[in-house]
This record gives sequence, C-alpha cells and structure tokens, in this order.
Amino acid sequence: MDSAEREELVQRVVARSKADATEALLYEEDFGLTRFTHGAIHQNVRSQNVTLRIRAIVDGRTGVAETNHLADVGIDASLERACEIARLAPPDPELPPLSSTQRTTSSDGAYVEATARASAEDRARVVGAIFDAGEAHGLWSAGYVTTSSGGITLANSSGTVQSHDGTDSGLNVKQNGPSSTGFAERYSNDVRDIDGTRSGEIAARKALASADPITLEPGEYTVIMEPPAFGEIMGYIAGHFSAQAYDEGSSFFSGRLGERFVGDNVTVFDDVAHPLNVGMPFDFEGVPTERVRLFDRGTASGLVTDSRWAAKLGRPNTGHALPEPNSAGPQPRHLVVQPGTETHDELIAQTERGLLVSRLWYVRTVDQRQTIVTGMTRDGTFLIENGKLTKGVRNLRFNQSITEALQRCTFSRELARTASYSYAMVVPSVRFERFTFSSATDF
Amino acid sequence: MTFRSLAQRAVDTACARGAGYADVRFERGRSERAEVRNGVVAALDDATSTGFGLRALVDGCWGFAASDDLSEAGVDLIAGRAVELARAGAAVARKRFGEIPSDAHVDCYATPVERDPATVALGERVALLLDAERSLHVDPRISVGRAWIDLWRTDKEFYSSNGAEIAQTLQQTGSGISALAVGVGDVQDRTFPGDVGLYQTGGWEIVEAARLRENAQRIGEEAVQLLDAPQCPHGEFDIILGGSQVSLQIHESCGHAAELDRVLGWEANFSGVSFLDPAQLGMLQYGSKHVTIVIDNTLPRGLATVGYDDEGTKSGRSDIVREGLLAGFEMSRDTARLIGRKSNACVRAQSWEFIPMIRMCNLNLLPGTLPFEALFEDVRDGIYMESNRSWSIDDHRLNFQFGCEIGWEIKNGKRGRMLKNPTYAGVTPRFWNSCDAIADERSWLAWGTPNCGKGEPMQSGRTAQCAAPARFRNVTVGAGYRG
Repeated sequence: MDSAEREELVQRVVARSKADATEALLYEEDFGLTRFTHGAIHQNVRSQNVTLRIRAIVDGRTGVAETNHLADVGIDASLERACEIARLAPPDPELPPLSSTQRTTSSDGAYVEATARASAEDRARVVGAIFDAGEAHGLWSAGYVTTSSGGITLANSSGTVQSHDGTDSGLNVKQNGPSSTGFAERYSNDVRDIDGTRSGEIAARKALASADPITLEPGEYTVIMEPPAFGEIMGYIAGHFSAQAYDEGSSFFSGRLGERFVGDNVTVFDDVAHPLNVGMPFDFEGVPTERVRLFDRGTASGLVTDSRWAAKLGRPNTGHALPEPNSAGPQPRHLVVQPGTETHDELIAQTERGLLVSRLWYVRTVDQRQTIVTGMTRDGTFLIENGKLTKGVRNLRFNQSITEALQRCTFSRELARTASYSYAMVVPSVRFERFTFSSATDF
Repeated sequence: MTFRSLAQRAVDTACARGAGYADVRFERGRSERAEVRNGVVAALDDATSTGFGLRALVDGCWGFAASDDLSEAGVDLIAGRAVELARAGAAVARKRFGEIPSDAHVDCYATPVERDPATVALGERVALLLDAERSLHVDPRISVGRAWIDLWRTDKEFYSSNGAEIAQTLQQTGSGISALAVGVGDVQDRTFPGDVGLYQTGGWEIVEAARLRENAQRIGEEAVQLLDAPQCPHGEFDIILGGSQVSLQIHESCGHAAELDRVLGWEANFSGVSFLDPAQLGMLQYGSKHVTIVIDNTLPRGLATVGYDDEGTKSGRSDIVREGLLAGFEMSRDTARLIGRKSNACVRAQSWEFIPMIRMCNLNLLPGTLPFEALFEDVRDGIYMESNRSWSIDDHRLNFQFGCEIGWEIKNGKRGRMLKNPTYAGVTPRFWNSCDAIADERSWLAWGTPNCGKGEPMQSGRTAQCAAPARFRNVTVGAGYRG
C-alpha cells in the first residue's frame, strides 16, 4: 500500500464507525534480514504484514481491536468488537479527547528508495564482503544485514490525519578469534551507507587487537565507552523523563525538575528529526513530536508527555504517546546526546590508565531511584595505558549509578547512531572518570 | 480456499521453483489483554492476526518468507520469494546447514482446557482486575497498582513437501498483580505470582489458580514494608530461593546455556554463545547430585507444552542435566544432526511472521524430597529471596547477578526480619554445584516466562521452568549495591 491507499482505508474505518469517537492506526512493514554465522547464512528472512488498530470510545469508555483482515467484513468485525469492549469497560474519568492536529511532514531522509528496493542478493553481497574481511585475518563472522520499509497512517474522528513512510537498514558484525572477539555496527535510513568491507574490517581489527586478553581486578576505572556501549547505558535512563514516571515517583528526579544532577557538559534531547536517526514525526495519537531538552547542561529540564499526562500535569503535549491506552505512559524514542569537542582518539590519548569498552551486554536496572545498572562488557575491551590501547582485557561485570557516572564525563565530538536493546539513539563516545566493576570473567 | 489447499499450492510452487524441500505454517492468533492500572483500564484489547510463513531449502540453505496475503497469488509470491532468499544465501555461503527431514507426521493436538476463557464475560474479567487492583492500595505510599490478564489462542496448521499435516490449537493464559510503593528517595515493587504473574497452558482455570484477589492486600503491604526494611547485607551467605526465582535461575543459567544453536555459534552476534561444548556431554559436572533438569514439552500446564514444534517434530521428554552431569541440549533438526543426535522438538516461532528457531521450552528442575519449611532448618546465617527484580548474565552464560524484590534473614533455622534490595551473584556451574536441597513436589510449580527475547529479528518466546524452592551454600550476596 502507498500512503494514499492507507489514508483512504483509515478514513473509511473512521467513517464506518458507530462509536462516539474513533481512532484508526494502520501499520505496514516489509522487513528483510540476512543473518550469518560460521561462513553460512542460517536465517534469511522476509516478511510483510499490515495491521489495523481501532480505538473506539463509547460513553467515555475505551475498547481496542486489532486485525490484519482488511476487507470491509474484517474492518466491520473489528469495529464492532472495539465498540463491544468499550461498552463493557469501566468509564475513564481522565480520558482525554482524541487529538485534533494539523498534518505534519516527515523530515528529509526518512524514506530512501534504494533501501526500499534492496533485495536478498544485495544483503548477501554485504555478507560476502564481511566473510572476506574475517577470513583475511583467520576469523569467523557472525551478524546480520537488514533492510526494511514501512508506513504508518492515523486518522481519527476529530479530523486528525497523519502519515509517515520510512526505511531503515543496518549491519551488525562480530568477528571471532580463538581468544577474542570484535564488534562493529552501522545503521542508516539509506542502505548505501552500509559497507560490509569497512565494518567487517573494524570488527576484525578489534578482535585481533584484543587477542590473548589479560585479567584485571574489579574496581573503579576510568572508562571510555564507544557508542554501542554508551547507548545501552542511556537506554536505561530515558524512561525517567516520562511525565508518568516523574509524577508517580519512580524517576530519579521525581519532584525535582529543574535541579542539577549530572555534569554541566551533559545536554540530552529527544529529537525525532536528527539527521542520523530520522523517525516518525508524530506520536501514536497523531500529535506532532516536539524536540524536548531532557538534560540541559546537567539540569533535569524536560518531561515528555502525551495527551493524558499533559492534561494531568498541566504541561504542553510534546507528542510522545504510545498507542493508547497503555501502561507505560509517554516515552522518549529518539535520544540524542550533545557531542563534546574532542575526538574519540583524543579521549583515549588523554587517558593515563583506563579501559576502552566497545559493547555491553545484558544491562539491567538494579535500583530504579539510584539509577544503578548492572551488565557485562563484550566483544572488544581494552586496557589504556599512557594514552594508548595496550592489551585486550577479559570481560567484566559492572554495577554503577548512571547519574553518578554522568557527573564526571567527557564526550567525543563524533556522533553515531546505535541501536540499543530497546530503540535507536544518537550518541558520542564518552569517557567516565569513575566507573565501578564488581567481578571479572575468564573469557 | 482452505489452509490445506493453499498449503499444497505453496509447497508445490516452492519445489517447482527449485526447493528440495518446503514447509509452510498457517496461523490464526488471537491475543486478548485486560489491564487495570490505578483504577483505570490501561488495556482492553482484542487482537487477531492471520498469515503464513514458508521455509524453502535450496542447495543446503534455507529461505523464509511470510505474508498476510492468503490469496493464491500471494501464496505463489511468497513461495517464490523463499526460494530466492535461499538461493541468495547459497550463492555466498561457505557452509550448508540444511538437510531434508526424514520424518513427517499427520496428527492434531489441542491444549486441554477446563474452562474456555471465551465463556467468561469480559465484565467478569474486568471486575476481577478492579477488585484485585483496589486491594493493593493499602497505604497512600502505593503509587501504582496494576492487575492484568492475558489470553492467547493460536490455531496453526503445518504442512511439508514430504507429507506432514499437523493441526494444533493452543491456549495460553496468564494473570498477575503488582504494587509500586514510593518512599523518600526509594521505590519498591512487589509482584504476584512470581515476578511476571502466573502463565501456563490452559483456560480460565489458570487465572483462578493465581488467586489474585486473595493475595493482593498482602502484596501491597509487603511493598510498603520494604520501604522501611533494612538493606540486605553484603557477604557470603547460604541462600534459599523461592520457586519463581529458581525458575529464573534455570532459565538464564541453564536454559539459554543449553540451546544448541548458541553452543554452535549461531547466536554469537546477539544473544551470545555458551560455555558448554558437545564434548562435555556426560562429563561436565554442571550441578550437584540433587540437580536433574529435563525438557518435557508434554507437561500438563507447561507454558511451552505443544503437540509438535514448528519443524513438525513430536514433543517428548529428554534430559539436560541428570544428577548433576550435563546430558543434553535443546535442539532443532539441523543442529542435532551436527552432533549426531535427533531433534528434541525445541523449535518455535513467535508467530506466522517469524522464522522458527531453537527456543527454550518446558525446562524442569525435578523436585527434591524435603518439605519447603525443612530447607530453613539447616541454615544458621542466611537469606531467603523471592520474586526476581533484576537479571543479568554474560554472553557465555557464566557470570550472573540477580536481584529479588524481597528477602528475609534466616537465623538459626528460622525466617527473621524482612530485607530490601537483595541481590546475589555467581558463576553457573559453581552455583549449581552449591545446591544441596530442593523442596518437594508440594511446592513445585510450572512457572511460565511469557516474554523471553532471542533472535534477530527479535522474537518473544513463551517458556516454562518448573521449579520448587531450593537451597544454595556460600553464595555472594549484595554485590549489586556494593559495586
């Protein structure tokens, strides 16, 4: 379906509805992923689906039905089911009205025709280049190459109509040697930015340079994290800026908006239009998504809201709703950390003794209010001595408060898009002056 | 057209385009969720999705394509696409993992259901949730109360070019409650049952077994009491883990470690590898003699119980750890062949859109002989912990650190005062070898995990780890807060 066809369909859904108010969301995705290991492509997939989500409101009560049966009979059955659910639901005294907003347009670069047209052969060629890069150094490769295109269109009975088309592509490679591994990744809306030879070589060099790693005693270290690692960390603080978490007391700065918590060099935005990570310019209620300053020079300065939480707290609606109703509340989805002035290499050169961490694994919250997280290093951890990477280091477990770490940190001037466990973001490399490791491994 | 006739067309088309073998899985999934949050309905959804996924084998390489287009033209397109994907992979592959299966079953299976959830009015479901959620609010410091019910029904039909025809109807059900208490600079949560709720195969009887109304007040009170409880100490202690935490421990440090695709490096770039090696079968002392862990995908109420997996292999029972010794892996057809074994039916896909892959299924730690209370008698200075709150393990599945929602001191065989923020850490085989007692079958339960992430694209799997409370000696406690 193109956006005009999607628009016609969602407006037809709203027109056929007998509910007091109706919202129709149509998601379409064409997704391809080529996954490889040990010189073979073991998972080579492509899937297509279109899903219609109908939210019906009857007498201040909400029902939701979802289907991928898009003939009139399927649409009518789902409309009827959504209304039936709504009639049985308890009333919601805080239910906000459906949004009534002007149409917003996607930023340049969100949709790239070359990505939408990419084939299994195109992805396989990138994989072949990665295999070549690994084999040239006696390493085996594991990873994936992905391309996708999709569209989302929303219409509601208050007259809002929004539509967005996007593409995405990505590459993730781990090169594996006898005693070490190395990692590289690249994500872009444009598949022409995806270079198997370059990423395969970066990962291979990391694997080779960290061969025969040494064991370090756990304790406090100065740590430089590359974007894939730093992105994992930042993914665990984003939710604290939800108006819901703030109001309900689970945010580290609940009741203390406007106070300083981290270093004055820390400024973080939620920015859906950043050129490295262009996304959907409206939220799942159809409200345009604003650029929100979350940390401003160390001060917790912003909250993201949806229509419910904007009304509840008397704040502007920033357009960060998930599909309503939901339990998670509004969420930032496009974090951008403002870069520093030094290069990544200068951060290393200025470090007398510390660690360079390429990637993290299994980061989880230990303590919500103290922002303590635990997790492991993986795929390229190095000792820095007198400004140079000298040895590979066996992996370590950390337990660290994120806000404490951000009190003394320096960012690189280069930015990269990384895909954390939950969503993509744009971050620099970071040097934390103090980061606490609690145990070591023998690999 | 029926699924059967579309399936015949699909596999015929794939073979005519060059596949040596093809199988196709049609699914109609229905997912109903009801959730109440602070007295307001946060979800009341009914979602259905219908589609099919087709695997084609060309020159030892697999291609998988999926679509919601159930027309003849749609089926032809997807069959051809799967063959193209397989051929594109074969063009650059240095190795081939796929082979044509030798067996094919014709059968049907349905989850035993005592009370069909469809017979329970939506109003009754919501009333239960409103009641239970209201009972959590025992104190103004309860900032968030939640109660939820999930009902999942899947009708799937599997056909292959070598004659398999398998129809299954699966019903999975879950429910739970949670309370978040907020104090000065502190938040504490309690969840029941376990840490995600009670998820099993079956009907409304699973919701009734969870006893949400009966436990809500206690859960709310415990969340508030935790705000004022002393911090769990740091050091080496004997610990007793509640059944749901043992389930999590099995899931992370045995279930994932014993997935043969990880062992072989097929998940290396994301979920990771495993410290295990096929050469260790029958040799590695994984745990103490008390530790026997079996896969049983026929277990009544196990969340992963099915008749056949998504490669068409019949469910059964096999050992992973027998009296402490490593005895087996979770396997697919292709991975099992690489180590000279046969698949034990551990292949699942999240839904029709996803490629089938090795997933943890029902992985059960067999019960011991002691009543639960007797586990405490031989502990002089220890900690009892319940309900997971934080979970992390390295990409070899060795170095883990887990945190629980609640703990209690154990002094001279007796449970003492409540402790907040308990965490413990260890290394997998050392930890399982420190297990010296497991409670008996009276406290053994099929704990379901409804949201296990694995694979790229990420798939959410539904697994179970049946477990009873267990005792472990000399464990590092408190690392999460001491750095």
